[in-house]
Amino acid sequence: MLRPEEMTRAVVVGSIESLDVTIECLYELGVLHLIDFTEQDEEFKIGEPLPSASEASQKLLKLRAMIRALSIDSHKPAERMATSDIRRTLDQALVTLDLNTSKKAEAKQRIQSLIRDKESEIKALEPIAPFGIPVEDYEGYETIFSMVGICRADPEAALRARLPGAEVLRNPRKGDVAVAVFGMAADRPEATRILAEHGFQELKLPKAAGDPSAIISKNRADIAALEKDLVRIEGDLEAIRKKFADLIIASEEDLSIEVMKAETPLRIAATTNSFVMDGWLPTSKVDELQKSLNSLCCGLAFVETLPKEAGDEPPVLLRNPKPVKPFEFFIDLVSTPKYEEVDPTIVLFLTFPLFFGFMIGDLGFGLGLAALGAVMRLKLKGSPDLQKLGTIVLAGGIMASLFGLLVFAEAFGVPFHPPEAHPDEHSWESVADIPIHPVLDKMTDIKEMLALSLLAGWVHLTLGFVLGFVNQIHHNRKHAFAKVAWLLILLGLFIEIMYIAGSATWTSEFVNGTVLAWVPDAGTAVAGIQVSIPALAFILAGVVGLPLTEGAMALSEVVGLFTNLVSYTRLAALAVGKGAMALAFNTMLFPLIFESHNIGIAIVGVVALFVTQMFFVFFLGALSAGIQAIRLNYVEFFLKFFEGGGKEFSPLRYLRKHSVATK
Amino acid sequence: MDPTQVGLAMIGAGIAIGVAGLGTGVAQGQVGAAAVGATAENPKMFGKGMIMMVLPETIVILGFVVAFLIMNA
Repeated sequence: MLRPEEMTRAVVVGSIESLDVTIECLYELGVLHLIDFTEQDEEFKIGEPLPSASEASQKLLKLRAMIRALSIDSHKPAERMATSDIRRTLDQALVTLDLNTSKKAEAKQRIQSLIRDKESEIKALEPIAPFGIPVEDYEGYETIFSMVGICRADPEAALRARLPGAEVLRNPRKGDVAVAVFGMAADRPEATRILAEHGFQELKLPKAAGDPSAIISKNRADIAALEKDLVRIEGDLEAIRKKFADLIIASEEDLSIEVMKAETPLRIAATTNSFVMDGWLPTSKVDELQKSLNSLCCGLAFVETLPKEAGDEPPVLLRNPKPVKPFEFFIDLVSTPKYEEVDPTIVLFLTFPLFFGFMIGDLGFGLGLAALGAVMRLKLKGSPDLQKLGTIVLAGGIMASLFGLLVFAEAFGVPFHPPEAHPDEHSWESVADIPIHPVLDKMTDIKEMLALSLLAGWVHLTLGFVLGFVNQIHHNRKHAFAKVAWLLILLGLFIEIMYIAGSATWTSEFVNGTVLAWVPDAGTAVAGIQVSIPALAFILAGVVGLPLTEGAMALSEVVGLFTNLVSYTRLAALAVGKGAMALAFNTMLFPLIFESHNIGIAIVGVVALFVTQMFFVFFLGALSAGIQAIRLNYVEFFLKFFEGGGKEFSPLRYLRKHSVATK
Repeated sequence: MDPTQVGLAMIGAGIAIGVAGLGTGVAQGQVGAAAVGATAENPKMFGKGMIMMVLPETIVILGFVVAFLIMNA
C-alpha cells in the first residue's frame, strides 16, 4: 500500500554452459526484470541465441502461416495440451499440414479472387446489357465519341435538344439511368457538360468481346462452378481444421515461448565462457532466486545484489491488498507511478465508491449496478481489464445501495415515504412500510448536499497536498514546503466557505463546532460579503509562501485551487440531477400506470417507465457518475502530487493458456 | 423584494450558468476531438486525454458559483 514493491538491483552471472538452465529457471520464477544490454566492448558482447532458436522460429513461422491459411486465429482449444505431446506429434503433423493445407489455402484464395473478378465484370456489364451492343464496339473510333455510364437524372431530353445528331441509349433503373451516348467527336465537350449536370459517372468496361448478356450468363455459370469447387476445398480445410486446430494453436503458444527463451541471450552480455544478466528483482525474492539457481545450475550460476545508485530508475510493481488491486486499473489508465512516488490506489479504493455511491444514491439502481459488476467479474474471465472494471462497478453499486438505503431512503427514484411537503406523491408506502426515513432529501436538502460535497473536497484535496509533500520531501524541499503553503490557502478557503455557510447547513455547523472549533470566530464585512479574519490570515500566509517556494507564477493558480474545491459540488449536482430525472419520469408515467384504469395504457406506461429508467437513469446515470467520480480523482486530486512516468515491472516470464509444461 | 427584481436576478443566474456552459461546451468539443484522436492512436493516452478534456469544466463551475450566489443574494 502507498509504496510499490521494493526492488533490488541484481546481476545473475554464470558459466556459459549453464545459460540455458539459468534462462529456464528465470522464466519459471518470473521475478527478474531484465535490463537490456547494449554497450558492447572488447570483452562483453551481446549473447548468441540458444541453438534451438532457429529451428523453433522456422516451425513457428510455418505454424503462423497455417493459422492464417486456416483462419483459426481466434480458435480456442477445449483442452490444454501437454508440451511433451506437442513435441512428439508436431513434426509429423507439420509434414502432413504442409502437403495438404498450403496448396488448398492457395487454391481457395485464387478461386475467391477469380469469383471477385467475374462478379465485377457482371456488375459493369449489367447496366448496358439491354443496349445489345457488343462490348468491343463501345470504343476505338476516330471521328465519333462514345460515353458510357450512370446518370442520377435522365439526360435524354437535354441531349436530344442540344445535340440532335447524337445517338442516346438509355436504361432506366431503380434510382438512376444507365446511358450510352454516341456522337460526332466535335460535340464531345458539350455532351460531357450536359452529362455532368445530370450526375454522370463513367462506367469502366471490362476488356472483353461479345454481347454483354452472353458474357454475363457465361460468367454466372463460371461462378456457380467455382463456388462448387470452393465448397469442396472449404470442406477439406474444415476437416484439417477439426483435426489439427487444437494442436496448431497449442504448439504455436509453446513454440513462441521456446523462441522467447532461446532469444533471451540477445538481451544479455556474454563473453566466451560466461554470461552476465543485469536487472531488477523484488527484494523479497532474492533468496528464492538464489536457492533455485543453486539447485538447478549446480553452482555454475549465482545472483549478486548491488547497491542502488543515484539516477537508477527501478521498475514499478504496485503492491496492494487483494480488494484494492482492481483499482490499479485507474492508475494504469493514467501512468505508472515512479518508484519513489506514492501509489494512490488505496485512496481511489476509498473515494471512488464513496463519490460514485453518493451520486447514484439509490437502493434499486445500486443493487442493479452491483449485480452488473458481479456478472462482469464472473463472466469476463478472458479480459482482466473488464474484470477489474466489474469489481469497481460492484464496489460502487454496493456503496450506492447503502447511500440509497440509509441516507436518501429511495429505490428506483421512488422514495420509501412521500416527502412532508408533498404527502400525495407516489412512494413505496403503497407496497410496504419501510421503517427508514431519509436523512437527506435530494429535492429539498440541496444546500446540505453542497456543504457535504465541499467537505469531501477539502478532505480529498488536503490528502492530495499531504501526499505531494511526502513525494517531494526527499526530492526537493522547496517544492515540499510549497505544498504546505497550498495547504494553508486551502484551509483558509474552506474556513471562509464554512464561515459564510455558518449555521445554514447541518454540515457547516458540525464542521465549525468540531474540526474548525479552534478557529477564532472573528469576521468583518467586505463589499457585502462576510469575511473570516483567520481565513484571510491563512490565505495570506500561503500566498506569501508560494513565491518563496514554487515561484511567483504559482500565484496565478490560487483561483484554480478555489475552482478545484468548488468542483466537488458536482457530487451534489449529479445526485440532485439524477434524482430529479427519475422523479420527472415517475411523475409523468405513474398516473398512466395506476390511474388510467386501462390495461393497454398501463402496459405502455410500464414499458416507457422501464425504458426511460434503464436508459436515462441507470446507464447514463452510472456512466456520468463513474466519469465524474474518477475525474475528481484524476484532475483535482492527482494533479496535487502525481507525476507518473514510471517503468512497469515486466519480468522474464511466460503465460501458458493452451499448453501445460511437462518435464 | 420586488418580484421584477427577483425575476431579473433569476434571469441573471440563468445567463451566468447557461453562457458558461456554452463556453465549456465549445472548449471541450475541441479538446475532446483531439483527445479521442490521441487515444485512438495510443490507448495509453486515455488518462491524460481525459485530464485535458475536463479542464474547461472550470468555466461552467465558476458560472454555477455565480448563479448560486445570485440566487441566494
